[in-house]
Amino acid sequence: MAIQEHLQEFAGKPVANWEPGSDFQNPGGTLARISLDYDEYDQKQKWLDKFAAFLEDPNASQSTGLVVGPWDFESSEDSSAIVEALVTARDRLPNLTAIFLGDILSEENEISWIRQSDVSPLLDAYPALEYFGVRGGDGLSVGALRHERLKTLIIQTGGLNADIVRAIGKSHLPQLEHLELWLGDSGYGATTTVEDLTPILSGQLFASLRYLGLRNSEIADEITRAVATAPIVERIKTLDLSLGTLSDEGAQALLESPAVAKLEKLDIHYHFCSDEMVEKLQQLPIEVDASDSQQPYQYDGESQRYVAVSE
Amino acid sequence: MRHSCGFVIVANPDSRRVALFQESLARLGQKSARVVAYVDLLAGRTHLSEVVRRGDVVRIESPGRDWEVERSLLCAGVDAAFSEDVQEGGSEWMSRGALQELHFERGRVLPSRQWYLGWCQVLQLIECQLTECPPHRLMNCPADITLMFDKPRCHELLARSGVATPRSLGSPACFDDLVTRMKEVNCRRVFIKLAHGSSASGIVAYRTDGERHQAATTIEPVRRGNELLLFNTRRIRVHQDVAAIAETVDALCRHRVHVEEWLPKAGFAGRTFDLRVVVINGRAQHTVVRLSRSPMTNLHLLNERGDVAALRARIQSQLWESAMQTCEAAMTCFPGSLYSGVDLLFTPNFKKHAVLEVNAFGDLLPGVLCDGLDTYSAQVRAVIESSG
Repeated sequence: MAIQEHLQEFAGKPVANWEPGSDFQNPGGTLARISLDYDEYDQKQKWLDKFAAFLEDPNASQSTGLVVGPWDFESSEDSSAIVEALVTARDRLPNLTAIFLGDILSEENEISWIRQSDVSPLLDAYPALEYFGVRGGDGLSVGALRHERLKTLIIQTGGLNADIVRAIGKSHLPQLEHLELWLGDSGYGATTTVEDLTPILSGQLFASLRYLGLRNSEIADEITRAVATAPIVERIKTLDLSLGTLSDEGAQALLESPAVAKLEKLDIHYHFCSDEMVEKLQQLPIEVDASDSQQPYQYDGESQRYVAVSE
Repeated sequence: MRHSCGFVIVANPDSRRVALFQESLARLGQKSARVVAYVDLLAGRTHLSEVVRRGDVVRIESPGRDWEVERSLLCAGVDAAFSEDVQEGGSEWMSRGALQELHFERGRVLPSRQWYLGWCQVLQLIECQLTECPPHRLMNCPADITLMFDKPRCHELLARSGVATPRSLGSPACFDDLVTRMKEVNCRRVFIKLAHGSSASGIVAYRTDGERHQAATTIEPVRRGNELLLFNTRRIRVHQDVAAIAETVDALCRHRVHVEEWLPKAGFAGRTFDLRVVVINGRAQHTVVRLSRSPMTNLHLLNERGDVAALRARIQSQLWESAMQTCEAAMTCFPGSLYSGVDLLFTPNFKKHAVLEVNAFGDLLPGVLCDGLDTYSAQVRAVIESSG
């Protein structure tokens, strides 16, 4: 499936490209997207220069959020220089409450080829940060994850290292309302097991959690069976298991869960469940998105299911 | 007052294209076209001078989707393919004997260069026979068709004429040659296509970061005896192993390829897309948005059509107009042709666009209307209105 469109919105606000020479309109209501396009990269322009120019915009200091688009099309640079530049700019962006690091299309650079880095300095530099999203698991580390104000944490990968999940399991994120993890495929670095998720599922963390997304997972059935009976489900309003290899086996656990029936929304779009199962799920007294059903690919007599975003 | 024209189509008579064209003629109050079948033309049973009358409009249609015609084209190309191989080496071709024994296999990539050389012979035959016909008009001239089916030459022509296209890396002889060329121009991502192919036949989207490799393709290589055959399928597969990639690319190169830089495509409705724009009589008309979840957008790969109006609403009108003008400019390179199907991409954020291909028979878009007319009706009307 891959990621084909840039973010149209993040942190509840529309995202608009910022280019040098244009005024940054509506800094309070719009998030600026800073990125290099393919031609600019070819002409050896630098993301850091564009960002520096953005900081000179008279409205930049009023920005409430920033989306970082491609800085490289060849996987030759990781995000550490970007992180450093954002950290250095903290005093010039006093109103920043949202950052998305890596709004990069599959056509621009495959998700598993995006080179991330240690993003914890960003969280330390922006104590007022409420929304943080990052795309690309290669080289990603998140540090101790101690942040008093963070409400939304989104980590999109084609293969998420279990270290990240374990760090989340030991984190201090008291305000967290939205936790979204794209776990991915073992062929692309996914090492998370259901056990790694236990602290998250236990409900001992994240007293304010309203949305839990364990998405794009190759082990969707296993995860779903664990989630369906997990205490955390009684707290959240939305459970998102979309983009993964969920089949009837995992979905059955959802049907049988009293806590699932009390959610507001269950999202399993992009799945491998049967039509019959989808019908049953749609009879739950909650909003269910079971669209985009997939057929497994038959290869050598074996059925192959695959996650939506992996390469 | 409505003019009346006589139409002659050179085609495979059972083809859907013929049926739809005849319907359009009928709707516009014209007599049915007389159809000259490729099999009859090739067998010498029909000569165009017996069919074409003074003032007729002649339309050359696709020879595709007919196994006997396909085989005849390959036969027609045997001698030329053989001499090329003698001179240049390393190319895939099939003897008359092998062609006799050949049976139809869905998706099999048959010697593409040989097919093209045979197709060129047939186009020359048509051109030759037309010189013996009374004065007539051509909807699409053989010379233009010959060029449109030769991607490297077509690309060169477009680039020389200032039409925006991706960078070409020419026709490498093999994977190693491709790698060398990529390094020479500092390009890390390419689209490899058969030089004479169509409809997403034989395409590989390959990229590397110097260490990792990734190739997406619908091609399935199949070993048969000591041969490696290539089959087109409807499923995109992704290879990470450079040896597997090299094997497929080597095999493709033997059919002759055209390699271009792989420009990132813009997304719409959650998918990647490009446009098929049918240019008729100098004007960009029927447009189809081809959505895809992969780098390959061709519709027959079970990809979907997108909503043109919704897309236009997303793109600034001057960016859209500029792209349409580019399609029209591409057509000026083919002054002998009334129409063709231009493939065009937008880069993310729609800031730039590029022509990917010019398809001589890219006007089969049933149900797609422009000013209330389908592609064939629009062409017929353009022809009738320009009758003096």
